[in-house]
Amino acid sequence: MKRKLSDAGDQPQVSTPKRRRTALKQSNGVPNGHAPNLAPPNDDILNEVHPPQNGQSTPKKANDVSATPLQQSGLKTPTHRAKARGLFATPTKPQSVTAPTPSRVRNADRSARKKSARVLFEQNEDAAWDGSERLAEEILEGDEEPGNEKADHLAESIEPEAAEAQDKGPKGAKQPKRRAGRPKGARNKRSPTPEGELPAHERYFFQNRAGPVKTSNATLNKVPLLTHEEYFEKLGQYVDPCKEEKDYLLSLHHRSFAQWAFEFEEGFNICLYGYGSKRHLVGQFAEWFYNRRLSFTTSPTIVMVNGYTPGISIRSIFATIVAAVMGEDAPSKLGAQPTEVLELLQSALKSRKEPVTVLINSIDAPPLRRAANQALLARLAATPRIRLLVTADTLNFPVMWDISLRDQFNFLFHDGTTFIPFSAEADVVEEVNALLGRKGRRVGGKDGVGFVLKSLPENARNLYRLLLTELISLLDDGHQSDDEGAAEGRSGDDNGIEFRLLYQKATEEFVASSEMMFRTLLKEFHDHQMITSRMDASGMEILGVPLSRDEMEGVLEDLVLG
Amino acid sequence: MDANGIDDALGLSNDKSQTLGAYIYQPPKHGKSAGERPSKRRRVSATTDGDDNSDRKCFVPLFNGDEAAESVQLRYDFYQQIWPKQEHKIQAILEDVDAGVLTDVLSFVRDTSPQTCDGCIPTAMVTVGSNVSSLSRLLARLNDQLISTEEGSVVVLESGDAPNLKTTLKNIIRAAITNTDGNDGYQKFLGDRAGPRLLGYDLDLLHDYVQRKKTKKLVLALQDSEAFDPGLLTDLLSLFKSWLDRIPITVLLGISTSVELFEGRLPRSCVALLRGKHFEVQEAGNCVGRIYQSLQCDPDTQIWLGRNVTTTLFENTSDYFQSPEAFSRRVKYAYMSHFFANPLAVLLASSTSTILTQNKLCEAIRNLPSFRMFCEDLVEEQSTEQVRYMLEDDEYLLRETPNYLNAGQERMRKIFQAVRIVHACLQYTQSAKKANVADLSIRALSGELAESAIVEDMVATAKTLDSDKLNELLADVRAITSSPEVDEIQEDLKSLLETCPDTAPLRSGYNINSTVTKTTVVQQRIQLSKGKADLSEQAAEYTNIADRLVTLLQVHLTETLINPQELFLHEVFLFDLRNPLKETFAPRPRFAIERALATPFDYLISSSDVTMNKVSAKQPATAILYQLYLDSGALVNIHDLWQAFYGIFETEKAGGCDDRVVMALFYSALSELKAFGVIKNSRKKTDHLAKSAWMGL
Repeated sequence: MKRKLSDAGDQPQVSTPKRRRTALKQSNGVPNGHAPNLAPPNDDILNEVHPPQNGQSTPKKANDVSATPLQQSGLKTPTHRAKARGLFATPTKPQSVTAPTPSRVRNADRSARKKSARVLFEQNEDAAWDGSERLAEEILEGDEEPGNEKADHLAESIEPEAAEAQDKGPKGAKQPKRRAGRPKGARNKRSPTPEGELPAHERYFFQNRAGPVKTSNATLNKVPLLTHEEYFEKLGQYVDPCKEEKDYLLSLHHRSFAQWAFEFEEGFNICLYGYGSKRHLVGQFAEWFYNRRLSFTTSPTIVMVNGYTPGISIRSIFATIVAAVMGEDAPSKLGAQPTEVLELLQSALKSRKEPVTVLINSIDAPPLRRAANQALLARLAATPRIRLLVTADTLNFPVMWDISLRDQFNFLFHDGTTFIPFSAEADVVEEVNALLGRKGRRVGGKDGVGFVLKSLPENARNLYRLLLTELISLLDDGHQSDDEGAAEGRSGDDNGIEFRLLYQKATEEFVASSEMMFRTLLKEFHDHQMITSRMDASGMEILGVPLSRDEMEGVLEDLVLG
Repeated sequence: MDANGIDDALGLSNDKSQTLGAYIYQPPKHGKSAGERPSKRRRVSATTDGDDNSDRKCFVPLFNGDEAAESVQLRYDFYQQIWPKQEHKIQAILEDVDAGVLTDVLSFVRDTSPQTCDGCIPTAMVTVGSNVSSLSRLLARLNDQLISTEEGSVVVLESGDAPNLKTTLKNIIRAAITNTDGNDGYQKFLGDRAGPRLLGYDLDLLHDYVQRKKTKKLVLALQDSEAFDPGLLTDLLSLFKSWLDRIPITVLLGISTSVELFEGRLPRSCVALLRGKHFEVQEAGNCVGRIYQSLQCDPDTQIWLGRNVTTTLFENTSDYFQSPEAFSRRVKYAYMSHFFANPLAVLLASSTSTILTQNKLCEAIRNLPSFRMFCEDLVEEQSTEQVRYMLEDDEYLLRETPNYLNAGQERMRKIFQAVRIVHACLQYTQSAKKANVADLSIRALSGELAESAIVEDMVATAKTLDSDKLNELLADVRAITSSPEVDEIQEDLKSLLETCPDTAPLRSGYNINSTVTKTTVVQQRIQLSKGKADLSEQAAEYTNIADRLVTLLQVHLTETLINPQELFLHEVFLFDLRNPLKETFAPRPRFAIERALATPFDYLISSSDVTMNKVSAKQPATAILYQLYLDSGALVNIHDLWQAFYGIFETEKAGGCDDRVVMALFYSALSELKAFGVIKNSRKKTDHLAKSAWMGL
C-alpha cells in the first residue's frame, strides 16, 4: 500500500487515506462532519469566497486543537467541506472531479500531500496527538486552494511548536521559504502543550507519550561553559532586581522570631520549608535568640549544624552538642557509635536545667538524608531540653519521616520562603557540570592541576608538559581541518594522544627511560585525575587531559615559565 | 564591584561557619553587624528593654506594638494557668486508657518465669495497631513501676540500635546499667570489676549487674519488632536462652501488624524459644474522642475550640494514624495561638483589673463582627441609648464586657451540656451507628444540631422507651444537668411505678408493642389500619410522663443549641481559625515551592508593578527557569533552554546584557532545580535534561 501511494504521484489516488481521515474526523466528534455525500450546491461562489477566508486563519488558532473545529466550522463553510469530501471520498469518480485542477497543483504541494497522506495512513495511537498529523490533515484539506501559500502559512503557524523538528517532517520542502526564522520573542511562546489548560495528570501523559523525541539536535558545544572563577566573577556583577522584596520577605520572617521562641518554650520543634536558602534566616534567628537572653545570667547554648556539608556525620553533630552541654567536663573519649554519644548526651542533659537549642540547616541534604540518620535525629529531637529548629529545602522532604519519626520530631512547620540562592549549600558549577554530563571535566581545575604539578618531581612535570604540548598541537591541527571556532570549547579528553606515541616522545626527551617508569609517572597523574584514558575502537589507549583548551594553555604556560 | 559586594550578592559571608559541619554558635562581634537593618535592632532592644524582671516573657505586644506590657503578661500568665489544667486532664485519660494493659503486662512479668514457661523465654507480645506512641508510654510506666518496687527494670531496644549482634549486646548491657545507675555508673561498673576487664558486649557484665542489683525481672522490650533482622533476633534470643538460668530475662515484643505475621517471619527455631501471651492496646480513636470530650464539655472550661478547628482535628485523626499525644499537641497549639495572637484574650484573664482601661482594647472590641451584630440587635430592640454608651463610653463598655463575656461562656457550657444530653439519649437508640461526641459537637458548634435528624431520631426513640430505660435516661440527664422539671418528672415516674403492681416495665403509647394492626376485609380487599391498643391507666399515665420529658427536652435543646458564632464576644472564648493549625501541622511544602517558583510575586510583593504575570527578567533566575521548565516537554534540550532563558534577558534589557552574567544565573538556577530533584541528566540525547516533576501532580 505504501509503495502504491508513493508512486501514485500523477494520480491523486488518495482515496484510502482520505477515508481514514473522515473516519477519524467523525470519531473525533468534529461537529461539521455531517452529510458527507451532500452535493456541492454552488461551486463558483464558494471558490470566490474562499481565499479571503483562508487569510483569516491566524497561525495561532491553527495551532490550537480545541480551536480547530471551531475554526473549520467558522471559516470554512460546511458545504465546502462536503465538496472536499466528495472530491476524495467517492472512489467512483476520482478522475472527473480532479481533472480540472491538476494544472493548479504545484509539484511541491503534491509532494507535501503525499507525505501527509502517508503520515495519516501510518498513524498509530501513540502519535494521535502529534502536530505533524494535524498539519498533514490541513494540507490535505487545503489542497485545492492556491497551494503554496496555504501550506507555507501552515508551516509558519506550526513552526513555533515544532521548532525543534526543523529539518524533519512533512514541511521540509518549505524550509527555504521561511528565511526570516522565528520572530523575536516567539521562542518564549514555544510550547509543547498547545492545548492550553490541561489538568496536571493529562499534561504528564501528554508529555510522556511515546514516539520520537521532538527536540532539536543543538548541543552546547558552541557555548563556552563557565569555570568556577568566571561563575563567581559574573555572578558578582549581577544586580538582583528583587533585592528589596527579598529583604521585605525576610523582615516578615523576623516578626515570627518571638513566636518561634514561644513554640520552643512550649516543647515543640520547628521545621522551616519553602523555596530559598534559609541559612541566613536561621543565622539571624540564632543571633536574635542569643541576644534576647543576654540580660540574664547565662547565655543560651546554641549549636549550629550545616547539614549540606559533605562528610558530616551524625556522631560529629552529637559530639558537638555534648561539647556544648558539658564543656570542660566532656569525656575525652566518646563512643564510636552515634547512639553511645546520644545516650551520654541524654544523661548529661538530665542534670541540666537550661535547654539546648540545635539549629540544623538543610536536614534533607544528601549527607543527612539516610533513614538511619533521620531516626537518630528524631531521637535527639525527642530528648527533653533539646530544642530543634531545622530547615528543609527539597520538594518532598516529609516522606523522609514515617509516623513514628514524625511523632518523635514533634515539628511545627512554617513557611520560610526566602528566595535567597543556595550559594553555600551547593557547588553550583560542579552540579551543573554533572547535569550536563561533563563531570570530571574540571576536577581540580587549572589551579588544582598546577598545584599538584608543583609538588611533583621534575620528570613528571616534563611529562605533563609534553602531554599538553602534544594535545594542543593536535587541537590546532583539528582547528584547521574542522569547523572553525568549534574547537574553542572542546576539551582535551575528547581528542587525546595515543599511549605509544606519548611514550615514544617521552623516551626521546629523556623523561622516561623505561615503560615501567613511564607508567609510574602516569599513575601519579591518574591518582590526581589529571589525565583521562580510554580505549579507542582499535583497542589503543588514548590519553587526554580533563581541561579546556584555555586551561591547558594556562597550565602549559605556567609549566614552561616556572 | 568590590569584594564585599560580590559576597553580598552571592550570600556568602566571610566567616568560615558555612563550611563547618557543626559548631557552637557564637554571636558575631557587634562592630561587624553595623550594616544590619535597623528594624531588627529595634526589635532586639525592644524585647530586652521590656522585660528586665520577668524572664519567662515570650509574648510580643499586639495592636501594632501598642499593647500594654501588663496586658501581654496577663495573656501569658493566663495561658500558663489554663493549659496545664487541660494537659492534666489529657494525661489522666491516657493513664486511664493504658491502665488496663499496664496491669496485665505487669502481672504477666511478675508471675511468669522460665519455669512456668517450660524453660522457654517468657514473652509478652503487645499489638499496638495504629496507636504507635502508646507502647513507649507503656514501657516508661512499666519501667517506673519495676524500679520503684526494686524488682528490676526495662531495657528498650529499637531496631536502629541493633545493626549486629555485638553492638546489640553492648547496647543492651549499657542501657540496662545506665537506666538505673546513669552514665557514670556504667563507666564505674566497667572499671570497678575485679579480674580482667571484660569487653562491652560480654553478657558476664549483665550477669554481674543482675547479681549486684538482685534483679528479679529484666524486661527486654523490642519496640519495633518487625524492623529487626530475623537472623539477628534468632541469635540474640538463643543467646539469652542459654543465659536464662543466670539472667532473669523477659522479652516484650511490640508488634504493629499481627502476631501471626510476625511469627511467620521468624525461623521456627526462634519461635520455639519463646513462650508467652498476647496483649492488645486500645485503638487511638477512642482515646481522642474522650480527650476531646473532656476538654470541651468540662464545666470549668473557659475557651472552646470552634467548629473549623474541631473538623480539622478529627479529619487528621481519621485520615492518618495519629497518636493521642499528637492530637493533644494540636489542641495545645490552638490554645497557644489564641493567647499569643488574640489581644482580646486578655479579657478572659481579668475581668476587673484596671489594666483593661486601654483605648486600643475598646477599639478592638468595637471592631468585632459580633459587637456589630450585638449593636444591631440592640437597635432593633429600641435600646439605642445603650448602643450609644457602648460606642462612646470606654468605661461603660469595659464595665459591661465582663458580664457579657460570662454570659457567653455560660451559653457555651449550656451548649456542651446539651450535647452531652443528646449523646446520653442516643445511647438508648437502636441505630447501629451512634454519633459520637465529636460529631455532635461539630454540629452544635455550627448551630445545626437542634434541627438535625439526629435530634429528631433521638426524640422519637425517647418517646418509645419503656419505664426502666426511661428511668436510667432520667438519671443520666440528671447527672449532666440539674433542673427542677427533670426532678419533678422523675418524682412522678417514681410514684407511678410504686403504684404500679406489675413487675414488667411500663410502655408508652408510642411503643410499637402498644399499637395494634387491625386487619379488616372490605369489599374483598384487605385493609390494614393501625390503632392504639387499649392502654391501661398506668400506661396512659406513663405516656403522659414520657411526653412531658420529650417536650422538656425539645424545648431545652432548641433554647440552648444556638449558633455560637452569634454570641457577643465569641471571638474571645471561641477559637475557630482553621489555618494556623492546618498549615503548621500538615504543610504542603511542594505546593509552597511550586508556587514560589511559578508565581514568585505572590511572595515578593513588588512595589512597582504588581500585575506581572508573565515571565520577565525581573523575576529570580530560578523562577524564570522553572516556568520555562513547566512549558517544556519531558525531554529538554539544554541548549534551547539556555537560548530561551537568555532570550528573556535579551528582550528586556536592550543592549546592556552580558551573556556571561546571564549564563551564571542560568547555572545557579539549573543547580537549584537539580537540588530539588525536578531535573536530571538524560542519556537519550546529548545535552538533554529529563523532567521528573509535573506541577500539580
